[in-house]
Amino acid sequence: MSEEILKALMQLFALIIKQDGGVEETEKKYVRNFLSQQLSSKEVSQYYSLFEQHAGLKKEGSKSTDKEKLTSVIDSVRVLGICRRINKTLHQNQKIVVLVRLFELVNADKKFTPQRMAIINTVADVFTVPKEETASIEQYITSAAPSEINDPRVLIVNDLEASHDGVLHQHAEQLTGLMMFLYVPSVGLYFFRYTGDHELYLNGLLISKHRIYLFANGSTIKLPRGKPLYYSDVVSHFLQEETDTKISLRVEGLNYRFPNGNIGLRNIEFTENQGSLVGIMGASGAGKTTLLNILSGINKPSEGSVMINGLNLSTQKEKLRGVIGLIPQDDLLIEELSVFQNLYYNARLCFRDSSKEELKKLVDKTLVNLGLQDIQNLKVGSPFNKLISGGQRKRLNIALELIREPSVLFVDEPTSGLSSRDSENVMDLLRELALKGKLVFIVIHQPSSEIYKMFDRIIFLDVGGYMIYHGNPVEAVMYFKRMDEQINAGIGECPTCGNVYPELIFNIIEASVVDEFGNYTEIRKVPPERWEELYQENHAAEEIPDPSTPPPRILKVPSWIRQLSIYWIRDLRSKISNRQYVRLTLIVSPILAVILAFIIRYIADPTSSTYIFRENENIPIYIFMSLIVALFLGLIVSAEEIFRDRKILKREAFLNLSRSGYLLSKVFILIIISAIQCFLFVIIGNPILGIKGMTFAYWLALFSTAVCANILGLNVSAAFNSAITIYIVIPMLMIPMMVLSGAMFSYDKLNRKVGSVGKVPWIAEIMIPKWSYEALMVHQFKDNQFQKGFYEVKKTESVADFQQVYLLPELNRRLELVRQDFNSTGNIGLSAEDLHLLRNEISRFNTLVPGKTFPGVKQLTPEGISKNLLDELEFHLEILKEYYSKEFIFANTQIENLIMYYQENQPGIYNQVKDNYHNESVEEYVRKVYEKNKMVEYRNTLIQQIDPIYLDPFPSGLLSFRSHFFAPSKHFLGRYFDTFWFNIGFIWFLSFLFYICLYYNLLHKIIRLPQKLK
Amino acid sequence: METLKIKSTEDSPRILLDKESNILEISGRSLPEDVNTFYEPALSWIEEYAKNPLDITIFNFKLTYFNTASSKVILDILTQFEEMIEEGHNVLVRWHYLEEDEDMMDAGEEYSEMVDVPFEMVSYLNP
Repeated sequence: MSEEILKALMQLFALIIKQDGGVEETEKKYVRNFLSQQLSSKEVSQYYSLFEQHAGLKKEGSKSTDKEKLTSVIDSVRVLGICRRINKTLHQNQKIVVLVRLFELVNADKKFTPQRMAIINTVADVFTVPKEETASIEQYITSAAPSEINDPRVLIVNDLEASHDGVLHQHAEQLTGLMMFLYVPSVGLYFFRYTGDHELYLNGLLISKHRIYLFANGSTIKLPRGKPLYYSDVVSHFLQEETDTKISLRVEGLNYRFPNGNIGLRNIEFTENQGSLVGIMGASGAGKTTLLNILSGINKPSEGSVMINGLNLSTQKEKLRGVIGLIPQDDLLIEELSVFQNLYYNARLCFRDSSKEELKKLVDKTLVNLGLQDIQNLKVGSPFNKLISGGQRKRLNIALELIREPSVLFVDEPTSGLSSRDSENVMDLLRELALKGKLVFIVIHQPSSEIYKMFDRIIFLDVGGYMIYHGNPVEAVMYFKRMDEQINAGIGECPTCGNVYPELIFNIIEASVVDEFGNYTEIRKVPPERWEELYQENHAAEEIPDPSTPPPRILKVPSWIRQLSIYWIRDLRSKISNRQYVRLTLIVSPILAVILAFIIRYIADPTSSTYIFRENENIPIYIFMSLIVALFLGLIVSAEEIFRDRKILKREAFLNLSRSGYLLSKVFILIIISAIQCFLFVIIGNPILGIKGMTFAYWLALFSTAVCANILGLNVSAAFNSAITIYIVIPMLMIPMMVLSGAMFSYDKLNRKVGSVGKVPWIAEIMIPKWSYEALMVHQFKDNQFQKGFYEVKKTESVADFQQVYLLPELNRRLELVRQDFNSTGNIGLSAEDLHLLRNEISRFNTLVPGKTFPGVKQLTPEGISKNLLDELEFHLEILKEYYSKEFIFANTQIENLIMYYQENQPGIYNQVKDNYHNESVEEYVRKVYEKNKMVEYRNTLIQQIDPIYLDPFPSGLLSFRSHFFAPSKHFLGRYFDTFWFNIGFIWFLSFLFYICLYYNLLHKIIRLPQKLK
Repeated sequence: METLKIKSTEDSPRILLDKESNILEISGRSLPEDVNTFYEPALSWIEEYAKNPLDITIFNFKLTYFNTASSKVILDILTQFEEMIEEGHNVLVRWHYLEEDEDMMDAGEEYSEMVDVPFEMVSYLNP
């Protein structure tokens, strides 16, 4: 209490009691007593003289006695002035205390004159105390007989079985007189007084009669008999009406074995009901957290069951959705968001039906309740980069659960690492929750006496998962002392200070045997098994029927699409608020583009300084490298996304939110980041290298690659459990993709086990950059401004050329071999393979040149062969040769005409366009100009090795989509698609597959498989 | 705005609130049985008046006695004036007291310290 307030109070006291005939002795005594409780004796006299001065005691024959009995106007106004001053400095709680003291003062001499009461009522009015509460306080303090009191805010404790109607009652054995409690709801304060002759102690201090005490949080009153009266006992009387919902948590025969076979918990059985604060204690490794995880439903018990209101937690989880809340030991905060935002987005995910304004109000209220309103706009920050204190972090974590009010709440070590002041604050919050009718379980380690006494019941676990005690915390001390046959076993707490030492219990439980030399040994005096037996012997199980009503659930999760949008905004906000992240994300791709493009901007002619796109040999490498950049950035931005959220996800699992909503919000954000990054890359890299008219195609290919990598990265981030493993996995994904992209090594020249002839190897088909590299190379070659006009004719020319120059002569040679064989032996022996090849090739020609089919193709077998047929075949090959020769000449002339036309009409333009749009190096790659083997034989077919860009794939079936590398088109379902669009589509299909994997978390399951099989 | 006129009695003051003729006055003894009910019309009149006051509001308190409960009402009225001043209106309180009544004078001064409203102390002789 500040000096100013005490002065004000003295004036107020004086002004009140000088009314109506002056000050009585009892009143003076009261003031002295009051002062001596607040101050040292020296100061008492100083303030007392102040009081005397204002009360007019020092003046002889004061005016007020001879005048009529009316309060003087100046006194009235002074009272107002004092109250106004108090209003400015005191909290509402303290004002209520002041008001109670005023009533008490008047009560000291029982002079309840209208003038005095008018002043007190005016004080109450200025203090904005609700009228009915003022009346209630007045009645509580002034009524002579308790039986007159008729107020549901009053609790009477006495030795009788019941009390008169209209008040609450509690029985206390052998208590003389009575205790009377008053509840002031507007501020949540409790007062009490005692009228009997027993020596009662409030928190270890002797209670004096007729005084009114504030019954503060955590207070205890020691009664002559029976267990003490705890704060929670008293409070539960008043809050009973507010908590009409019944919750019970029953654990039956619970056993738990860890996956590695070790026993975690043995035969745990207990029942707890609503409105309780239950502590779980035990040495480290005794299974406290294991028990918490099973009770909260994260792990399933190996045997036995956990029932909440008769519903089995592991089998009827659906019905218990939203009932349970868990506050793990570690932080569940989104570091980049502010305190308010953390709570607000959490609230939005919990309450579907509330409007944004309602939720804002709810969040504000919760922040005020938890004393976090001053820091609500601060960013949470990481535990290493602290922006808010540890206690505030913990309170915010609790707030996240508090706001949705789960009926059963589990908290893992809420006080670890906090100062004792913060610990008590946090525990107060949890206790209030229990008082409101929730069931709260807390794993606690080394609680202080204050905190230990807050619990309604304590569960002790011993090493090996034995439950060795369940019951009242103070009685636990007595129980273990008794079991240990200690003296003074009846005393649970320190007789002088009222403290309880839970360490004492651990000392008893874990006491070890002393050897003959007086040293402690490793052997325990009482092994855990024995403690458990003792507990079973000493404890009588009471049967409490389960409530038949299901537990209340106020959780209303929003629809899928709303969840998606909330997640999205939350994620976006947290990303944007990290300025460094935003800057780096935006700047990384332009920088890489500049570095890459600048270095490889190559001018072929050493004497010239003009850059010619056509001559730059590095364009294929640029395409490859930019895809690697897209891939790499895509993986990097996503690789930590889910991993970082895993704790938050663990908690949000209790809300039963949609996984796809969460994942898709991630995907959308990443898509946007990738789109921007790829755009910046292309818009800077392409102009430097003079790649024209391809911006969209490059962007689309890079973007698709990056998105696919994003989703792949999300898979990784969901599957692994540490950041370092994630970053080790990235090169394991990247290197194979680079090697098998087709850009670094030709598919024809790989290890036989991997490679395949004529087609891209299977393993390469799932490599993202293979698809985008091929798409871009093919697109760059065939669809550039220059080549567009020529591609189709050049394709015809190339096909005709290959057939007449390489393929048909080879077929003729084979035919000759077959004929020789047939003529010399009369049947097909050595040349069977050649005949097979002829049959395959001819049937392919039948499809390729529908006008010139060879009907006898089916007879081209060792059995069906005849001289006639061979002659016919020779003739047919001639026809084909003639056909392709015509095609070639036609195409060739057309090309020459075209070139001539351009050169005549737009002289100079032709070469300029060629220089600007066509790239020779790309052409070399896609045409395989330097390929030594123009054609190879493989499985009795001849496979074209050169000009892959001019060769459409020959489908082997309806669904076959595989082709050789750099094919201009792709076949699928009987149709041909342009390679660029087909490949882009395929990448998105891969992305979709990766998303499915992500949704079912397949990668994680595969990684976990070896562990499970053990 | 309608004029509010309440006649004085043994225990209650005379109230005259007349915007047209610019007379705002409470005078006499104030110790009514139920203060809140008695002053309710006056308080709502002032509240209504505050929405659209005269250029200069001069309010006269000419009380010979008021009890504690009434003192709170006077404070409420003064607080209302304080708000009017914050909104930019001109308000002056004339506090009349009988020359020999020191208590009443002191009360006026106490009030003037409590609220941010200009006070003019006016003494008068017993008629």
